[in-house]
Amino acid sequence: MLTPSEQLRQQTRRHFFSRCGIGVGAMALSDLIAQESPRRSPAADDSPLAPRKSALPPTARSIIFLFMAGGPSQLELFEHKPQLDRLNGQPIPESFIAGKRFAFMDSSHRTELLASRRRFQQHGDCGAWVSDLLPHTAGIVDEVSFVKTCQTELFNHAPAKLFMNTGSGLFGRPSMGSWVTYGLGSESNNLPGFVVLQSGPRGPRGGGVLWSSGMLPTSFQGVPLRNQGDPILNLSTPAGINPQDQQQVVDTVRQLNLKRLVDTGDPEISTRINAYEMAYRMQSSAPELMDTSGETPQTLAMYGIQDPGESTFARNCLLARRLVERGVRFIQLYHTNWDHHGGPTENLEKHLPEVSGQIDQPCAGLIRDLKQRGLLENTLVVWGGEFGRTPMGEVRESTGRNHHIDAFTMWFAGGGFKGGEIYGQTDELGFGPVENPCHVRNIHATLLHQLGLDHEHLSVRFQGLDVRLTGVEPSHVLHELLS
Amino acid sequence: MSCRTRSFILICCLTVLATGRSFGAEPLQFNRDILPILSDHCFACHGFDSKARQANLRLDTQEGATRPADSGMQAIVPGEPEHSELIRRLLTDDPDLQMPPQEGGKPVSAEQKSLLSRWITEGATYQKHWSFEPPAQVDPPQIPQVRHPIDRFVQARLNQVSLNPSPIAAPETLLRRVSLDLIGLPPSIDELNEFLRASADDQEAAYLDVVERLLSSPHYGERWGRWWLDQARYADSNGYSIDAPREIWPYRDWVIQSLNADLPFNEFTIQQLAGDLLPESTESQKIATGFHRNTQINQEGGIDREQFRIDSVFDRVATTGTVWLGLTVGCCQCHDHKFDPIEQKEFYRLFAFFNNQDEPNLKVHQPGTDLAEVRAAQKTAQQQLAEFMQQHLAKLTAWENRLTSAEKNKLSKDAQRALETAPEKRSLAQQQELFAVEVGKISSEFQTLQQQLTELTNQVNGIATTMVLQERAQPRQTTVFIKGDFTRPADPVTPGTPAILHPLVTTSESPTRLDLARWLVDDANPLTGRVIVNRIWQQYFGRGIVETENDFGTLGTQPSHPDLLDWLAVEFRSNGWSLKDLHRLIVTSHTYRQSSGERDDVRRIDPRNLLLARQQRLRLDAEIVRDVALKASGLLSEKMGGPPVFPPIPDGVMGQGQVRRSWKASTGPDRYRRGLYTFVYRATPPPSLSVFDAPDGFSSCTRRSRSNTPLQALTLLNDAAFFEFAQALQKVIAEDGLETAFRRCTGRTPDADELALLGKLEGLSAARVLLNLDETVTRE
Repeated sequence: MLTPSEQLRQQTRRHFFSRCGIGVGAMALSDLIAQESPRRSPAADDSPLAPRKSALPPTARSIIFLFMAGGPSQLELFEHKPQLDRLNGQPIPESFIAGKRFAFMDSSHRTELLASRRRFQQHGDCGAWVSDLLPHTAGIVDEVSFVKTCQTELFNHAPAKLFMNTGSGLFGRPSMGSWVTYGLGSESNNLPGFVVLQSGPRGPRGGGVLWSSGMLPTSFQGVPLRNQGDPILNLSTPAGINPQDQQQVVDTVRQLNLKRLVDTGDPEISTRINAYEMAYRMQSSAPELMDTSGETPQTLAMYGIQDPGESTFARNCLLARRLVERGVRFIQLYHTNWDHHGGPTENLEKHLPEVSGQIDQPCAGLIRDLKQRGLLENTLVVWGGEFGRTPMGEVRESTGRNHHIDAFTMWFAGGGFKGGEIYGQTDELGFGPVENPCHVRNIHATLLHQLGLDHEHLSVRFQGLDVRLTGVEPSHVLHELLS
Repeated sequence: MSCRTRSFILICCLTVLATGRSFGAEPLQFNRDILPILSDHCFACHGFDSKARQANLRLDTQEGATRPADSGMQAIVPGEPEHSELIRRLLTDDPDLQMPPQEGGKPVSAEQKSLLSRWITEGATYQKHWSFEPPAQVDPPQIPQVRHPIDRFVQARLNQVSLNPSPIAAPETLLRRVSLDLIGLPPSIDELNEFLRASADDQEAAYLDVVERLLSSPHYGERWGRWWLDQARYADSNGYSIDAPREIWPYRDWVIQSLNADLPFNEFTIQQLAGDLLPESTESQKIATGFHRNTQINQEGGIDREQFRIDSVFDRVATTGTVWLGLTVGCCQCHDHKFDPIEQKEFYRLFAFFNNQDEPNLKVHQPGTDLAEVRAAQKTAQQQLAEFMQQHLAKLTAWENRLTSAEKNKLSKDAQRALETAPEKRSLAQQQELFAVEVGKISSEFQTLQQQLTELTNQVNGIATTMVLQERAQPRQTTVFIKGDFTRPADPVTPGTPAILHPLVTTSESPTRLDLARWLVDDANPLTGRVIVNRIWQQYFGRGIVETENDFGTLGTQPSHPDLLDWLAVEFRSNGWSLKDLHRLIVTSHTYRQSSGERDDVRRIDPRNLLLARQQRLRLDAEIVRDVALKASGLLSEKMGGPPVFPPIPDGVMGQGQVRRSWKASTGPDRYRRGLYTFVYRATPPPSLSVFDAPDGFSSCTRRSRSNTPLQALTLLNDAAFFEFAQALQKVIAEDGLETAFRRCTGRTPDADELALLGKLEGLSAARVLLNLDETVTRE
């Protein structure tokens, strides 16, 4: 049985010598290896990103992770706690915080409770509580599973973001998107399998390591789609080079590489030929992706996009849908800044409403748009940050809350999650879980499960350990939330 | 020979290949045949880790396996598989009794079950894990007409599967290969021509000459320095999210210089781990301790600093274990090792060596500087200058009196301030400032004196600072941390080394880092020699003799050529730990020099080329992809060492990190330095390096992956730096022709078809094609 690369080699050997001879431009390798459709068929090639069959039957084909960088305050968005409001200004009972460690322990961290700054109402058939900051999200609660008791382990931004993305606070571990493309490959024939989009006043704390492939090969690394310049680094042809020249360069590289493949038989050369084909296709497919001029005004309105040329979270949500349509496996959106400590530029009164307003309609619009196009069933949308915020206030210039890792809210929609579910319950102050605590590891296990991957078997050997996204501590799939 | 016979032979060959032995009368060997099965399927619950151990049964020792377990049954009864509970549990269909359990266990194959049974029949003899036994003193097998010891080992193994080695590579391929491997640069046209000419006379002599030339080239230290810097997790920033720049390049230069001087590997080790503790340690030996300062520093607000100091010590222990011992001691941070005989407590005994340092910066002086002498000269120069100014004070006063207020206002801030100071209260620097404005400007004596003082002061101040280790006067108390959590200290421990290995020798009350360093390169250490020769071998063949180059423990792979590995390790040590001798030994073998072309018989019998019947084409390391393009296009600056440089990178890259760092592109020759001198921010590494798998410096990298991606294609096609290289190569084409440009990129003379294809393009396009060829970025 020949491997795909051997097959290719045999075909090309015949092709090269019998039909073409050197220098005949009609030799179209793309006929042999490229697919017409942007989605490729399994085993079309032997590149690391060739789509692979999952171990379990998959429910979701793609994941869109809406990462609210900085740690959104669940107590101003989803957690309605009348008792907290009543105890405003009083110290939190010692029993809650004995032995706990917090960020800024030695400076601004305080133990007085802070009432929620917002008004809450119940919404939808499920009666989920949502604050007045998220009126559009309130309209999709019946599509959504809320987890109120998410728990993580690290209380500073960069390590906690790493933990949410890689299951470890250590730098150098593969991120979720890398694990997923490592496990499943990509169905996109002309775009990377793992794409990152950013919006907000600055990059997320931690930066590029958040979409790093860690000890996995760089083929599985997230590719940031950039807001300025080329959407992908080095995508455009150098200045002064016209498309015909570029085409000629790529064609000649292919022909000479093919000749070398025939001479040496090294399958790595066929992988490189594939890579150049893909790169060449990306040069047209990425700009096509970014060109949203074909979207209707109704669609733009659904996301709340005013100026489609402006780089916003709303536009990134629209791009996320377009990426899903093109078979991209894992799409991660980062939006900053949710770090509301109470400083002059990061308080709960002014800045939380601003950032909530930036994401509310786009998130709801994304869910509705995916649904109306029949994509929500196979697309899992995740909303959340690296941690939540404390019921206690912080003493800075204005009101704010410190980082909190014991209980925070995330939501999940589509991709086999039930709608209108509320999982986990916190105590009367929203400090910790009283029912169904949900460690980040369980979220990881569940996301992989929905894609058809078993978190206990998806591993890579590194420094003596079978490294897994869910680590070595026990974790389980949240079957209660799955339809 | 009939078809059936042939396929029978083939099956035998495959079996031999897969298991490294032939089934037959030869008794099974525990390490080779049985341990991998037990380790993979049983040790997680029945191994060394007492906390994870189930049913009070351990199978990693003969004593444990033959003692009645909790059930009262005996897992292994030597000689009697039918009475061994282990076999019964493997064979039963009862899910309650079956081992490994259906939930969570890895199933054991029928072939493995029969091996276990046969081993018990043969007496169930245990062996210490192979890598914990000292390397065997072996002689290379006798093979007719084969002289080189490496070839004798390799061909003896190939003979078992009836494979022949490949013929020697074409001279131009060989020259390019050995140049890239030894100095990381492709040969020049002159070097190619000279080698072709000399090879025609005497192939062997020509090649040996080239090897000597390359080993004595200063670029050797650059190429192999990068190999070591990967393991040292070297980069130019502090890491974590803030990722501020740091200055530690003198350590990088120390590595390059030490390798060029062929500092014996044992000394190389001792200086890096404990150079500061050597008697009357030199500045150079202190710089060497930068090895363990290549850990990250977290400068984020709101953190617990002790937590991150401890993390850096964890990293130092794990890195030391990986780099020298090839053991995953990092596993014991939280628990006893599940597969290797290392206890958690032993991890913290190693930790204790690294828990007692301050982490200062050291001023670095120009090599050869005698600091006392320079300081004295500086003092003399100051006196001379002061005397000169005293003698010419009248002239200065006269000048001062002539100054108008308009002229005063034009003077520098410092000069104005000096004028406002009463003459007798002015410092030497202030006097100098005023003299320099006019009075001194016209005096060549003043100029000379001032210049002399500046030079001496610069020498005293040094050329840079670098990060080093320095032992604390008051040692910290080291304890075990429960589950590796620094908030949960447990039993105190003293410095020490794992009991499974050779004893630690110390002359002081409590063992020091220096003792640890000497222990690592002790003749009795079974690991260090093997680990290092294996990691060098890996660079030449793409894979080590032990494929898991960072795990020589029980979960690591078995060596493909155990005798060769041991022979090389012994040879390395008995040659006085000379790395250059080791390189020479490998590259002069036929195994190294043979062609890398695929062969049908090799693909059929040994598809992964484990037995080395041919060489291996290897994509170049990230830095060398750059270096080859620079050299081919004639732009390369061969300047060595010094502060890292900033070649152009695409706009917007530096915005990817949390803190936007500036990147002012270097101009002049610094724009064209070798890849290893490019400044590396850990959080935002230069894209054209990271896209080709340059390590990120977060942890020790003992083996780079070699990915092959569309983003690499985009980099070579469109990146502004590579485009600039192509423009320079275009000039080469214009002046010297396509054939020369082709040879500068690939080493090879193009054939007529290739020239015809390229000839259809205009110069710039042809140059871009050449830099994009798979062959250009590959060592063949």
